[in-house]
Amino acid sequence: MAEAMADSYSQDSEPTTRTLLRRVLDTADTRTPQRRRSARIGAQKSLLETPSSRRLSISTKTNARQRSQRARSIGRLAHVQISGHLEEQTPRTLLKNILLTAPESSIMMPESVVKPVLTPQVVQSSRQESSQSSLELQLPELEPPTTLALGPVAPGRRKRRLRLSVFQQGIDQGLPLSQEPHGNASASSLTSSLNLTFATPLQPQSVKRPGLARRPPTHRAVDVGAFLQDLRDTSLALASPGNSLRTPVATLPTDTVLEDTQPFSQPLVGHSPSVHHSLPHLFYTEAKDAEKAVGHRTQSTGPRLQNHSPGKPAQLLATKAKNFTMSFTNTIRAISGKDEVEPLQGGVSEEAEESMEVNLSVSKVKDTTGTQGSVRTEKSERHTEMTEAVEAKEPEGSSDEDISGRTASPELVSSTTEFLQARQLPFLESAPPPNTAILSSEQLEPLPTRLPPRARTLGPRPHQDPHKTGLNHYVKLFSFYARMPMEKAALEMVEKCLDKYFQHLCDDLEVFSTHAGRKTVRPEDLELLMRRQGLVNDQVSLHVLVERHLPLEYRQLLIPCAFSGNSVFPAQ
Amino acid sequence: MALSTTVSQRKMIKRKAPRGFLKRVFKRQKPHLRLETSGDLLVRFCPFFGEWGRKVHLNCLLFVHRLAEESRMNAYEAKCGVIKKEHVQAAAKVILKKSRG
Repeated sequence: MAEAMADSYSQDSEPTTRTLLRRVLDTADTRTPQRRRSARIGAQKSLLETPSSRRLSISTKTNARQRSQRARSIGRLAHVQISGHLEEQTPRTLLKNILLTAPESSIMMPESVVKPVLTPQVVQSSRQESSQSSLELQLPELEPPTTLALGPVAPGRRKRRLRLSVFQQGIDQGLPLSQEPHGNASASSLTSSLNLTFATPLQPQSVKRPGLARRPPTHRAVDVGAFLQDLRDTSLALASPGNSLRTPVATLPTDTVLEDTQPFSQPLVGHSPSVHHSLPHLFYTEAKDAEKAVGHRTQSTGPRLQNHSPGKPAQLLATKAKNFTMSFTNTIRAISGKDEVEPLQGGVSEEAEESMEVNLSVSKVKDTTGTQGSVRTEKSERHTEMTEAVEAKEPEGSSDEDISGRTASPELVSSTTEFLQARQLPFLESAPPPNTAILSSEQLEPLPTRLPPRARTLGPRPHQDPHKTGLNHYVKLFSFYARMPMEKAALEMVEKCLDKYFQHLCDDLEVFSTHAGRKTVRPEDLELLMRRQGLVNDQVSLHVLVERHLPLEYRQLLIPCAFSGNSVFPAQ
Repeated sequence: MALSTTVSQRKMIKRKAPRGFLKRVFKRQKPHLRLETSGDLLVRFCPFFGEWGRKVHLNCLLFVHRLAEESRMNAYEAKCGVIKKEHVQAAAKVILKKSRG
């Protein structure tokens, strides 16, 4: 009956889920119902037989019963297919019942229960069925299968996306909400794919590659463009110091590179910061050279000179182009204050004289610095230009000229020293770049050109680097103690102060040790120094200070403590 | 003390060679002068030479501390939220004079 109908139905229409299921059920039913029928028949027969045994007693009843039973059996036979299934409660039975009874629209529900093997076919069939049933179009029916093929990979994600998209588009199109519960209720990708059919054709494309659909392509293009530009600028800026480091003489290419960067990059002012970074590298190379030239005569002006030297010759190297130098100085001025200039102007004359001595001493080194000296002579011109550019540096300019006039023979070398002093004041303004030079000094250690390593003592290069790093350590401590934001120029100032302090410290220690008739400095000298400095009073003892400021590990090393076994550490 | 702990962290981790630095400074200044007294102390654990280095470091610390305090006071008086060069400079003058000994 139903089967016949199903068969006819299947023949007429395209294979739908229902038809497929029916076919399956039919093929299977042929066996089981017979068994069941036979079983039922047998049971019924037995039932019949048993009453038949009682025919004698109740013939009519038995007859009636038989008839009724037969009728019932027939009915049962008719029902066997159903009832048997019902009783057995197999998926097959359930399906068949539902097929027979339930409407088409609700097929999706039971189908979710069906084995997933059937899903692909079922999908198509159901889709087509639903297409027939629903008047809405389903353009790309092939796509959901593909999605289904990919479905097992990440059905969950897609479901959510699909549901969302379906929901959105459903809202847009005003789809009936009844379809959504179907999709939501189902737990398999099948239903989600089925939901697609009710969605607009746009949906399948997104379903294909949901991730890509979500990403706005234009967004990346803008970022990449800006990023490339930044890359260009930075690469150009970085390329220049690299070149300059390797060939300090061949500064032309660097300059050209620097000049080339200008049109690419933003306005010069904006670009100057990047060049600042490049310049410090150059600074440092020249700084090292200058230091080596000057290093052995490290007197009181030594640290000062060295502090300022990084700025000057390197600047000379880098700033061949006039415009660039001018702009650079301008920017430097803009950045830093001019306060540093004033106090150092007084010291310029002293330094000029000292520089003379340095020049003479440095003359020995001029051979090796020949090449660089030639470059520096060029820069001396620039220096003069720069000094002219610098307004308030008249005494410097005079000192420069004097120095240049005197040191005729050790011309090459003197030029460096000229720059050392001449550039002191303006390069104080260029404190930030030397700062960056200092900071980047460690990186540039292997790069600078080889100068005479015949340093008198340890060598100016190792002198400068760890000196600076050690100083920086104290500078950081200073900023930590200050607990307030500080300007970079202020940190420079702190460095200078620390230098002076160290000089004073060493002098004092020397005095104390010699006073004690010793040649080595002992902790007692330090204690005396601290007392004289006023750090240690009768109120405040050394140990108190140690406890306050030093970490525990140092404390136990400094303060004698008694340990077990009648021992004191550290030993007194 | 929080202060000391943070400082110690910096010391232990970041400090390259403070005593090396200090010793180098001293050598630079007075090459003819010797520095340490390592003979007294047990050498095995001392990463550096004697108490001298530590005390010098203490001295520097105190100096920096005083300098920072003084410059901070100057900044306060100038009613600045930022410590500027002038403040530091003025403070340095005072403190250096103080630490003359």
